Amino acid sequence: MKSKILALTAGLLAATALASVPAKADVKIGLIGGVSGPIAAMAPAMISAAELAISQVNAQGGMMDGEQLVGVVGDSQCNPQGGTDAATKAVNIEGVVGMVGPHCSGAVLAASASVTVPAGIVMVTPSGTSPEITNIEDNDLVFRTVPSDDYQGRALARTLIEQGYGKVAVAYINNDYGTGLAQAFRAEFEAQGGEIAGFAAHEEGKASYRSNLADLASGGANTLVLFDYGDGTGLTMLRQALENGFFETFIGGDGMKSNAPINELGAENLSTFFASAPVGEASNSLETFNAAFTEAGGDPDAIFVTTAYDAAFMLALALEKAGGDKEGVSAALREISNGEGEPILPGEWAKAKELIAAGTAIDYKGAAGDHNFDENGDVPGTFAFFKVGNDGFEVVTQMK
Amino acid sequence: MGFLELVNFYIIPGIVLGSIYALGAVGITLIFAILRYAHLAHGDLATLGAFVAFAVVTGIGVSPYAALPVAIVATALVAVGIDKVFYEHLRERPKIITVIASLGIALMVRAVVQVIWGVDSESYVRGISRPDVYFGLRIRDREIYTVLAMLALVGALYVFLSRSKWGKAMRAMSDNPNLALLSGIDNKTVIVLTWVIAGGLCAAAGVFLGINTELKSMMGWQMLLPMFAAAILGGVGRVEGAVLGGLIVGLAEELSVLILPSEYKAATAFVILLFMLLVRPTGILRGKVL
Amino acid sequence: MEFIGLVNYALFMGIFIAIYALLALGLNIQWGFAGLFNAGIAGFFAVGAYTSAIITSAAADGRIGGFELPFLVGWAGAMVAAGLIAWPIGKICLRFRSDYLAIATIGVAEIIRLVIKSEEALTNSARGITGLPRPFGDLPYVESQAAFLLLMIAILFVAYLLVERQFNSPWGRMMRAIRDNELAARAMGKDVEYRRLQAFIFGAALMGLGGALFAHFNRSITPEAIDPMVATFLVWIMLILGGAGNNRGAILGAAVVWIIWSVSEIATDQLPHEYAVKAKYIRLFLIGLLLQLVLRFRPEGLLPEPLRGDQGASRREPKSSARV
Repeated sequence: MKSKILALTAGLLAATALASVPAKADVKIGLIGGVSGPIAAMAPAMISAAELAISQVNAQGGMMDGEQLVGVVGDSQCNPQGGTDAATKAVNIEGVVGMVGPHCSGAVLAASASVTVPAGIVMVTPSGTSPEITNIEDNDLVFRTVPSDDYQGRALARTLIEQGYGKVAVAYINNDYGTGLAQAFRAEFEAQGGEIAGFAAHEEGKASYRSNLADLASGGANTLVLFDYGDGTGLTMLRQALENGFFETFIGGDGMKSNAPINELGAENLSTFFASAPVGEASNSLETFNAAFTEAGGDPDAIFVTTAYDAAFMLALALEKAGGDKEGVSAALREISNGEGEPILPGEWAKAKELIAAGTAIDYKGAAGDHNFDENGDVPGTFAFFKVGNDGFEVVTQMK
Repeated sequence: MGFLELVNFYIIPGIVLGSIYALGAVGITLIFAILRYAHLAHGDLATLGAFVAFAVVTGIGVSPYAALPVAIVATALVAVGIDKVFYEHLRERPKIITVIASLGIALMVRAVVQVIWGVDSESYVRGISRPDVYFGLRIRDREIYTVLAMLALVGALYVFLSRSKWGKAMRAMSDNPNLALLSGIDNKTVIVLTWVIAGGLCAAAGVFLGINTELKSMMGWQMLLPMFAAAILGGVGRVEGAVLGGLIVGLAEELSVLILPSEYKAATAFVILLFMLLVRPTGILRGKVL
Repeated sequence: MEFIGLVNYALFMGIFIAIYALLALGLNIQWGFAGLFNAGIAGFFAVGAYTSAIITSAAADGRIGGFELPFLVGWAGAMVAAGLIAWPIGKICLRFRSDYLAIATIGVAEIIRLVIKSEEALTNSARGITGLPRPFGDLPYVESQAAFLLLMIAILFVAYLLVERQFNSPWGRMMRAIRDNELAARAMGKDVEYRRLQAFIFGAALMGLGGALFAHFNRSITPEAIDPMVATFLVWIMLILGGAGNNRGAILGAAVVWIIWSVSEIATDQLPHEYAVKAKYIRLFLIGLLLQLVLRFRPEGLLPEPLRGDQGASRREPKSSARV
């Protein structure tokens, strides 16, 4: 026991010595993501999108009286162990006043229950899509800028029916993201009179999915709805389906709206590939973000970058409104984006800062939607249906 | 379902996948038999090999097949280096220590890949390749090359092990290390040779996995367990057994979709393995039981 | 950084260390004392976590459970379930030795993980079970963490005492005899298979308890928590580093490894901000490297297995000399 305490003390001393002494005026927010682990390929782009928001804030006058906004990157490893660990460090060692992330639902559930909610820190996850997040008893401290899978699955089902796809097969990755989308999609699609001619989950990371695809295709559908990640297993499946001539049309969720299929398979091969993704309602928010993120060296078509950017920017707005104090962030977060007030587009920090100082109501119109939070901290989300054009993804139609 | 469909969409992918598993499993089985521990960094070494080839492909613009020898040599050297720097000092210790050490090596190798090449999915050749149809069989060139290369590499290894002096020494070490040492076999050379072969084959497994799908930093780690299943299934220490085991695991994974819900595809290898251990722990080709 | 922040961080680390220490103690029964190479810790961890979750959570549509029983019932249930599931697994797998058992148990754990991920009616599939009761969960942050930590330490202490007592009893001597010389033990009429199975089940029950505590600490359990890296291999590193065969070593190993695992992130965060993401990979590299160094220079672990025979003798010696 004694040696345990000794080791603990030693560890803490090391932590104390190593932790940087923050400049007094910094306002810190945590950027917690699954940097290592199963979504390692997605996390860096999401973090750099959040960092774009932070650099815009700092370039346009910073927080409050010119304090710098600082993002503290933490690795949630996409599991509860890593998520709680990273969140604890961000909250207690770095002293963050708000948090963007974690990215994975399991980490969100664990970190909110054991760290951020008890500590009174607002958490905005850009990619935790599990319906379970809706039900957290969170004292209004857990938000998300990504719509729950339920909304998107249903919207996509309605759109497909409208577009005349009566019979589809569904393949989904066996995790909370894929399962949630697929089940919501199936319920709505069948309720609207569509026929599901194949419905199967798959594990990530296998080298071949041809037998899965053959099995799904044997139901006789020409259209495959694929709920997966475009830079992971979804890419492998898409490639193998195209190469082997399974299915004619491919439809993905927001996870598939990634540049990876275009880069790896070529736009010329993706003329029958469509994807849905949350967008702002009839605003040019998305273009504004795309331009800014491209200029910053990012890839605006990477997965969940828009939601990550919005999460960070809104958190900054809320902090500004709450005066940098963690107490008021939750209420402020609802105020800056409740559909009433002067519209603020991505990157318009200076304007927002002025308005907040003047006490005018503002309404953030994000790149991934308007983000008018409901009582659970969820966003209903508006979606658009994208196709692959010559310069990346192009909107086909808005989804209802 | 017609016969052709079964062959095209289940058997052929299963054989290709099995060939990739086999390349990795041969290395695992050799290390198991000669050094007597489970090498958990094997998958990540395969990732490293695949990315070395990727560097060559993008760097000088050759085909991945041309880059394969470079990847094999580089990974073999890395494998020998890892053994010299890390594993060699643990040789007299209980084998579990080396197993744990190899887990650490897996983390280190993966971190190196992630730092150098990043974490995005990459592919050797952009675009897609549709298969050629031979008498109703849909086969791609790369699939033929994968299977042929596996057969060639393993065949060469088999000849080496059964004909050459050093190959016989390796087999002797595997069968009875004490007797082998007594009869004057140079332990050190045998170990270096083992790592050269295991590392090289591992790289080949990674490159062919990359050719047939994409390159990802986790690709090797995700292949590790099926490769182990293949090695034990075939019989530890039996090179041809590892090939057979790899093919069986590959085929079983693909065919499992016909009977099981597809989310259980990954479990197939283990179910076969557990069954095999129950009825015949020596493996199909009567390897050794450690 | 404030002092209270450090305290909070320490409390959190303490809780995680206690949970991992339970897993390491369970593994120590299996490996340290019975020589069973169980590489499927995650499987028993998961069974425990989900059993307790099913017993204590509120009712939900389309899933069994929702009994809303007190968490203590859940924890007991977790131990029983993990032990029960270990019984057939042990029956089948324990006749393999060392590396074979390892591969077999990895396989079993993977199958358990896939079942948990896929069976909606049992575990709510990939979404996991949420809303579990947490002991002292209604207290404010710091108090709640501190109270939870105290509870963890109490549980760990009891577990440690029980395991330690068991090891020093004739049972423990017999287990070590079986581990070190199976033939001799068999010749002396010991039922080797049965005893091994006992050790396997005891160890698994402790792992199940660890899983249940983890689930209740986070008020949720999702399949992401049973990743082999964090739920199996990390525990192995802890036990080997702490000293297999030594219960205090197992606990110390859990503490040291978790502290390294966690604090290393703070260290790599000191790299310039452009490397914020790469720093996370470098951190994993450093953890791997550190492991190599420890294994090379301290392969018997921080606290090696006590030589119980000698220890007993030396304890008796002063007494006898006093008598003379």
